[in-house]
Amino acid sequence: MELETQPKSPGTGGGRRSFLWKRFKKQKVLHLFVGLGMIYLLIFAYTPMFGILMAFKDYSISGGIKGIFTSDWVGLRYFDEFVHDYQFGKLVRNTLVLSLLKVIFAFPAPILLAIMLNEVKHMAFKRFVQTISYLPHFISWVVVVGVSYAFLSADVGVVNKALMAMGFTDEPLAFLTSPNYFWGLAVGSAVWKEMGWWTIIFLAAISGISPSQYEAAEIDGAGRLARIRYITLPGMKGTIVVVLVLTIGSILGGGLVGSNFEQAYLLGNSINNPTSEIVQTYAFRVGLSDGRFSYAAAIDLIQSVISVALIFSSNYIAKRVSGSSLF
Amino acid sequence: MLKSQRQKDFVFDSVIYVVLFIIMLTMLYPFYYVLIASFNKGSDSLLGGVYLWPRNFTLENYRVFMDDPKWVKAFLISVLRTVSGTLLGLLLTSIVAYGLSHRDLLFSKVYFTVIVFAMYFSGGLIPYYVVLRSLGLLNSFAVYIIPSMLSTFFLLIAISFFREIPAELKESAHIDGAGELTIFFRIILPVSTPVLATMALFMGVGQWNSWLDSAYFVQSEELRTLAFRMMEVINKSNSPMDSLAVANSASAGVTSFSLQVTSMVVSIVPIICVYPFLQKYFVHGIMLGSVKG
Repeated sequence: MELETQPKSPGTGGGRRSFLWKRFKKQKVLHLFVGLGMIYLLIFAYTPMFGILMAFKDYSISGGIKGIFTSDWVGLRYFDEFVHDYQFGKLVRNTLVLSLLKVIFAFPAPILLAIMLNEVKHMAFKRFVQTISYLPHFISWVVVVGVSYAFLSADVGVVNKALMAMGFTDEPLAFLTSPNYFWGLAVGSAVWKEMGWWTIIFLAAISGISPSQYEAAEIDGAGRLARIRYITLPGMKGTIVVVLVLTIGSILGGGLVGSNFEQAYLLGNSINNPTSEIVQTYAFRVGLSDGRFSYAAAIDLIQSVISVALIFSSNYIAKRVSGSSLF
Repeated sequence: MLKSQRQKDFVFDSVIYVVLFIIMLTMLYPFYYVLIASFNKGSDSLLGGVYLWPRNFTLENYRVFMDDPKWVKAFLISVLRTVSGTLLGLLLTSIVAYGLSHRDLLFSKVYFTVIVFAMYFSGGLIPYYVVLRSLGLLNSFAVYIIPSMLSTFFLLIAISFFREIPAELKESAHIDGAGELTIFFRIILPVSTPVLATMALFMGVGQWNSWLDSAYFVQSEELRTLAFRMMEVINKSNSPMDSLAVANSASAGVTSFSLQVTSMVVSIVPIICVYPFLQKYFVHGIMLGSVKG
């Protein structure tokens, strides 16, 4: 208080406030730089957050951005409608099953690949396998789905032609157009696409393990498997926990192997719909295709609240159990 | 004793090499298959049995692809958005990150809170759509570029990289009388090739592969991207109704399948071309990101 009532003499640095002001002026170009980013986030990240309000309102498209504030409150009507939607049970089941299957199969895969690559002594071969294995990460889901089509479709698919030629089946299996195959298809293609990519992080963790540990174990007579079990795996523990937290936090979006939405949207069709329609594709259809903005926003909101809760609770549990955590 | 250990190791190694070899084939063969299918006569591919090399070699698929103004236009839009989106994204991200990399920056706690909060919470698709619409970005080329210029993830990676640059570099420039802009463009950016290359790869690939924004925010046929057109063709033939639907110029034995694989090759080749050059950078870059969470 006292400082503020003192007369300020610019230049001689009277008081904390003018000291701050001097520092700020010295950094003004930097604040200009950062300010650009802040304005950007304000527009493209924070304004949409206010838009969440429309989930509780009867928003109509004609009103523009103002419409969010002027349209009528409807409380939890759209949440209620979603819970009583006749598709609700199917949507929740499909979303959870797809997410869980991906964690079960996609989480261990890169760990195993990293351990195997670590045992390879020919550096050229190791590097080659690695380079090939993360290439699919850079290919879009559209292409991956196109590849699945080329391989598995009933009429042109290589797999069906081969199975028939070898006499395993008399008629082509409807991999792409049967509800029975969708989950396997989605999980398989997701592992194919992202396994090599996550291996990079686990290999980095392994390279942090001191070689003297391996030497000591070898002198003590530990075989290759024993060394993997007692040195490599414990050495990766911290990274494994962090990646697991990340996976569980993003499980509704598809976890490590990304984009349940793109998979369900691209691989889904009217016949495999009983297993391929998930909450996100449904929200997309009712929202942007049918123009029911408030209803779709309510469904979106439920999803993101669950996701955020998952991130924080899995992080908390990881911290409690192992001492490693993301934040 | 020693010998049996060696035998065990041999078995162990053999198993690993075989498994890795199979994994490698599973990763590679799909790309190879798409490639040979694109050089095989479309109507012939439908008969099956083309596994190792084109049975009925033709360039017809590529000719039809290049004669179709829709595909050419889509390709050009994709190139344009990839180049401009990546450059502008790099510029904004690195400028903001440079400012934030100063540890003595006033209010930096506030700035970081704003960034981290935006990383974990989002408004969801529908409110985002409404914002883009009120900004007049819908149905314009700008919708591909402007909303994706700054990602909080790249921002954090760039900040941690800039912080590793020795402070003496900046100080000596300061003493020589250089302003922040000069320091940033003449000193910081040139020594930041690894992180710039990493971000360029990810932004570029993201732009090149993106079809969702074309589907969500754009109605105009003129602005469709390559990835979106591909999605349309694949989705159409994937749907049970018209899986044998033939492409516009059926005369030369070009099918929707052969056009599909051709467009896939066209979309994969640019990625494979830049990949080897940027690879050494992004492995380092992603680790940097992973360490910082």
